[in-house]
Amino acid sequence: MLFNSIEYVIFLPIVVMLFYLLPHRFRWMMLLVASCVFYMWFVPKYILILLITIIVDYSAGILMEKHADNHKLKKRFLVISIVSTCLVLFIFKYLGFVNDNLVALCQSLGINLDTAVNLILPIGLSFHTFQSMSYVIEVYRSNQKAERNFGIYSLYVMFFPQLVTGPIERPGNLLRQLHEEKKFEYDNISKGFRLIIFGLFIKMVVADNVGAYVDMIYAEPSKYCSWDIILGMFFYSFQIYGDFFGYSTIALGSAKLMGFNITDNFNTPYLSKSIAEFWHRWHISLSTWFRDYVYFPLGGSRVKFGRWAFNIMVVFILSGIWHGAAWNFLIWGAAHGLLHIIEKAILNHLPEKENRGKIEKIVVDAFKIAKTFILVTLFWSLFRATSFANISDLFTSLVNNFGVTEHLHVENSIWVYLGLFILLDVLLFNSRFDRWCDNRSGVVRWTIYFVLIFMIIACSSVNNFPFIYFQF
Amino acid sequence: MKKMIFKFALLAVLLVLMNWIYAKFFFKADLMRHSDEVELAWKVAADSCVMVYTGESSNHTFSWSDNDRRKISDFVFDHFPDMRCGDMTKDASHAEVYYYLLKNIPENAPVETVIVTMNLRSFGYNWIESNLETAIQKQLVLLKDNPPLVNRFKLAFKDYEILTNYERAVRRTYHRNHDTLVFPYDFPYHTNYEWDYATNRKGIMNADGTRNKELSIMAVTYVQCYAFQIHDDNPRVKDFDNIVKLAKQRGWHLVFNLLAENVEQAQELVGDDLVFLMHQNRDFLVERYGNLDDVTVVDNLEAVDSQCFIDKNFTSEHYCEAGRRSIGDNVAEAVKKYY
Repeated sequence: MLFNSIEYVIFLPIVVMLFYLLPHRFRWMMLLVASCVFYMWFVPKYILILLITIIVDYSAGILMEKHADNHKLKKRFLVISIVSTCLVLFIFKYLGFVNDNLVALCQSLGINLDTAVNLILPIGLSFHTFQSMSYVIEVYRSNQKAERNFGIYSLYVMFFPQLVTGPIERPGNLLRQLHEEKKFEYDNISKGFRLIIFGLFIKMVVADNVGAYVDMIYAEPSKYCSWDIILGMFFYSFQIYGDFFGYSTIALGSAKLMGFNITDNFNTPYLSKSIAEFWHRWHISLSTWFRDYVYFPLGGSRVKFGRWAFNIMVVFILSGIWHGAAWNFLIWGAAHGLLHIIEKAILNHLPEKENRGKIEKIVVDAFKIAKTFILVTLFWSLFRATSFANISDLFTSLVNNFGVTEHLHVENSIWVYLGLFILLDVLLFNSRFDRWCDNRSGVVRWTIYFVLIFMIIACSSVNNFPFIYFQF
Repeated sequence: MKKMIFKFALLAVLLVLMNWIYAKFFFKADLMRHSDEVELAWKVAADSCVMVYTGESSNHTFSWSDNDRRKISDFVFDHFPDMRCGDMTKDASHAEVYYYLLKNIPENAPVETVIVTMNLRSFGYNWIESNLETAIQKQLVLLKDNPPLVNRFKLAFKDYEILTNYERAVRRTYHRNHDTLVFPYDFPYHTNYEWDYATNRKGIMNADGTRNKELSIMAVTYVQCYAFQIHDDNPRVKDFDNIVKLAKQRGWHLVFNLLAENVEQAQELVGDDLVFLMHQNRDFLVERYGNLDDVTVVDNLEAVDSQCFIDKNFTSEHYCEAGRRSIGDNVAEAVKKYY
């Protein structure tokens, strides 16, 4: 079920109403059934894959706790759990990629290998496997008690607001809340509603409307002049941001309606002054996952520069591959990692000048923000491109097509939507829409609601754009 | 709770206000962008047409050898030179599209007579579940009988049937496998699929005993497109019923133009059994609508000779000049009784 579908518009109020009408002890059951319905709306049989992951990790959690004194055995359960979870991910996500590359390699060596793997990736597999893994790791580290209630554990993995594209929740946050009795509070309804309309606005009005232009330009870059290609790249930065930020915000709002607080996934990432800062503000739940479960165990930053650079590259390449089983994602991740290392190396040699004047500081910050945004935007083209030929076509046209006289006609309304989104995003720096609204007067708040709801209905794209992160 | 009820009430008021703003300032532009066929309805009203013809590609498709390449509707209108007439022609349309087009003719328009194309093939699931249907349904959302903001909401939240080509094919296959064909005599095939399969196996043979590929494919196409029986629950029947109701409300004379099919070729390639079904379906429609007050069904099913059908490799209702003229004349004759 898509968040921006009529089915969800009907489904969510029913679930929220049932949640508050039922006694606490039955709520998890209802939420579990609702989450199953939500997931099975896509492809029903894929729930079996989810079930395998749930059973393995649930059992591993209990066994690890049972054998807490036997470190070797405990570790073995952890390894079995992680390997089996990753195996599911590998089969559905990476096997085709590995196979294709093996076939290509064999052909280049003159060996005839003709195998094909055509498995469809279950929606959100990368998200819920990571969420499931974080549980077993936390139990292994004794930061989390093993969950005994199979239903509640299943709900932790399957909680519908964040089931298919996150945020990737930790057991310390979500699992704990699933046991708490949630009281009906007007504030939760109000905040949840605010978040949902803001999320719908950025997904349906901003991301989907600019997406139509992005599709045109990436489909045939050679047809467009260089400025249009720059515009297409710029639009894609906002399409992917609006799309993912929108989804995460609707997820946050949907959970908030029932009193659940789930992790913020974005914090005005395009105002970052460096790549490092960007990753503190973009897809926060994934960045922190890699930080806690890969980067820190590798030694983090408390190592020599060379080792630190290695750690960074490992994390970013893994992050790239996590996004998709293709070389362009790997290169995209590696490019971010490399830039992160270069930035740090430069910073080590050119320490930040202190005692800058106010204006000088603003100018320097603006320059840093622009530099980071341009680099991130350039890298997004690796992410968006459909093939290396597409990337090559895009960049060749970017360099050579300044003379092309035909221009892409962008409707004025697009600039209005984008302008409004950028304005709101800047205003929300280090804040969140629901909290930001708290500090506004009733008239301002209701004016904003009016404008956003009206735009969601009257200005949203009528084209069918699935959420970009669904593919991961 | 009181606070929440108050806020929801306030939201309801705002929604009413939004609907007014949307209808006043945005709806027309949205209609032009997402349901541009509505312009056809506006045009017949703006031209003060008294007679309106609705049709699909059959209305305007001509043969390059035609001397007169005008539409069927023009041949009808030739008979009423003093009357203001107009057509609403949109390719690949069907009765549901006609219904919403007619509904969008302003009530104060001086329309008296409406001629609606009735395509026998459009009652079959090959057309009902065609790959174009999702796009057609999307175009109809804004034209439906709801407040403009509600329709735009439905369009934004994709509240219409969105099916992939594969899903459409699955539906077509389902109907071909499950819709039972009932003959008043013994007939070996009970479904469209069984008949299609047998026709394909049998094939059409050349004089030298070899298989004629083109004609064999054509025979199968005939079975796929015409081997069905229309029942009361057919979606197209419901659409035509709605058109009848609308015409009654508006006080229009309604003429259904049952288009010609290449019955002759169907008989040659598949045989009398398929012609039996075509006749049976024709009779169903003539009986259902022909006996209603102010409704006329013009039976053109066999009004056009086989050689006048333009498309030779697939079934269509595209006619050469003589065919279009003949249909136009027949329709005009039926309309004359109202004037």
